[in-house]
Amino acid sequence: MPKIILAEDDQLISASLVSAFTDAGFEAHPAYDGEQALAIAKEIHPDVMVLDIMMPKLDGISTLWELKASPELATIPVLMLTNMSDADTISKIMEAGCTDYLLKSDQSIDQVVTKVKEVMERGKRPV
Amino acid sequence: MIPSILLFLDFGLLGIVFFVYFRRTLRERNKLQGQAEQSVQLQQQVYQIQVLQEIGERIGYSLDTNKIVEIITSSIGTLLDYDTVTYLLFADPESMIFKCHVHNSVPHRFIDEVKNQMLQSISAICGQEVNLANADERITGTILDDHLNSRPESYVNVPIIISDQLLGIINVASSKKYLYGNSQAQVLYSITNQAATAVTKLESVLENEKGRLASTLYSMTDGVFMVDLHNQLQVYNPAVVDLLQLRVVRGKDITMFDIINALAGKVDLRTKIEEAVEKHMPIVISEVYLRDQALELTITPVRDQQGEKRGVSVVLHDITSEKALEKLRQEFTAMMVHELRAPLTAVRWSSDALLKTLADVKAKPDNAKLKESMANISTATINMLELVNDLLDVAKIEAGKFELNEQDYNLVEIVTDQVKIFEAQVAQKHLTLALIAPPNCRVKCDKVRISQVMDNLLSNAIKYTDSGSIEVNVSIEAQSNRAVVAIKDTGVGVTREDLNQLFSKFKQLSSSDRSRKGTGLGLVVSKGIMEAHGGRVWAESAGENLGSTFYFSLPLEK
Repeated sequence: MPKIILAEDDQLISASLVSAFTDAGFEAHPAYDGEQALAIAKEIHPDVMVLDIMMPKLDGISTLWELKASPELATIPVLMLTNMSDADTISKIMEAGCTDYLLKSDQSIDQVVTKVKEVMERGKRPV
Repeated sequence: MIPSILLFLDFGLLGIVFFVYFRRTLRERNKLQGQAEQSVQLQQQVYQIQVLQEIGERIGYSLDTNKIVEIITSSIGTLLDYDTVTYLLFADPESMIFKCHVHNSVPHRFIDEVKNQMLQSISAICGQEVNLANADERITGTILDDHLNSRPESYVNVPIIISDQLLGIINVASSKKYLYGNSQAQVLYSITNQAATAVTKLESVLENEKGRLASTLYSMTDGVFMVDLHNQLQVYNPAVVDLLQLRVVRGKDITMFDIINALAGKVDLRTKIEEAVEKHMPIVISEVYLRDQALELTITPVRDQQGEKRGVSVVLHDITSEKALEKLRQEFTAMMVHELRAPLTAVRWSSDALLKTLADVKAKPDNAKLKESMANISTATINMLELVNDLLDVAKIEAGKFELNEQDYNLVEIVTDQVKIFEAQVAQKHLTLALIAPPNCRVKCDKVRISQVMDNLLSNAIKYTDSGSIEVNVSIEAQSNRAVVAIKDTGVGVTREDLNQLFSKFKQLSSSDRSRKGTGLGLVVSKGIMEAHGGRVWAESAGENLGSTFYFSLPLEK
């Protein structure tokens, strides 16, 4: 069963994500801030991660930097899931090295699940 | 003839006065216009200082004194009988101008004698020997005739004094005896005197104008400097030194090199200046970052009245605070977008889940799951609604269209009702909640709006307090005739800097630490509500993690 970390501070959105990914056959681990997401990542070495950008303690972009700076976590494929659609943010997250990004409110929950699966597959292939 | 000289001088004065007046009106009009025009105007001022300086210099020294003296000398003929009219002027400390106009033919000796008389006279005035070693000598008029045996039998010497400075001497001479008496000397004296007075007046007008411009320039917060085509700094004000953080050696002027150096790596100022001169177009360089400052540079080419290129003027405008405000606004917008989309996403995804559960007709619907999705949708909708209401309230407050439905109420009742609503939430966080209030406190207010303020302040207190207590205190201040409600918590507290910005639209408390959700708009709305009631809202805190107290006050009913 693939392991996924869902970093999202909004309780309602997090609940939807956890439920959808559990249904889709994932072992879903919710995290409510960046620090928590990193801690869980170090512990369980997930197959894929979903990061929100605006999160308390450590925001999504900083979390991504931390992941990429750590040799053992740098290879985990990451999907940035955000409601920030400005060009500046998007260029920042692409630079930081995320595998892909999605604008939250543009997607149905199924589309998010499909995208995560795709990101996970892409991460497995040697680039 | 005297009037004609005065007329000439009066026109000159009138011209200057018009020039000054016109520029003043122009300046006043410009005040109303935008910043771009303001900087253009500043550059004009810099240029005018230059022009005025030049005019002043010209009038003060050689050219116009010469002209004035020439007019005097040329008009003397109709008033006096004379053979020669001569003037001797100090051109500069080292040299002199000697000019003699010969009306009736005289020998060289005649002129030599006149010259000696004048030198003696001027030496006497100066109290020291004056010689004509470096003199620029010119003799005009009728041809000299050395066969004649005439000598200057009559002559008058009149000093030319402008602004208390001896500029030279005028001499009228004739070979006839007993020609000039007191009245002739008086005429000559009054002509030179009038001319000198007029020039002095002109000079003082110019001085005042120059002084005014210089002081305007000096006190300006924008940096302004003017540089000529040879990279020589003509004018600059202290703001240039401050904004570019130049190091100044005491008593020494800065150079263009200092300025170019200060901007090195940020702007190639030399190239930009050349470009502005070449194209004869102003160039604006926005956002030049010097350490922690943001500057905007406007380079404007300057030409004189003949259309000759003179150089450029440069205005340095500090846009640091504008940039900071812009950043704050952007952050606010980003946060609003995030906060508005979050509940919508929750609604969308929960409905997705709901639809999925219901779509499988054969499966037995999982009631717990259905209930969870519905509850999520409901909560998200409430959050969204609160946010939208806050935004609408802020818009109404800002537009000045905030209306109240004021009635007579007991404030204690309104407060008590709100405290009751929050009891469950307080218990959930294991906090204690106390209410201290007199039995009655009559105020005229909008009950819904005051409840909204209570709701906002109480929910904030609970949100920002993880342990300890919350105390609500209603008191009556007889002296100021108002009711004060205080909501005191033992929570995270507020830093001194944040206290000032708590009630501003763009500032959410702990915007760096978003561990507690919220847009901060609630406080902005609360402030608007209390001000509409003729009351106030404010906060006090001993500092971070030392708790805080939020107050609001209302005028008591009379």
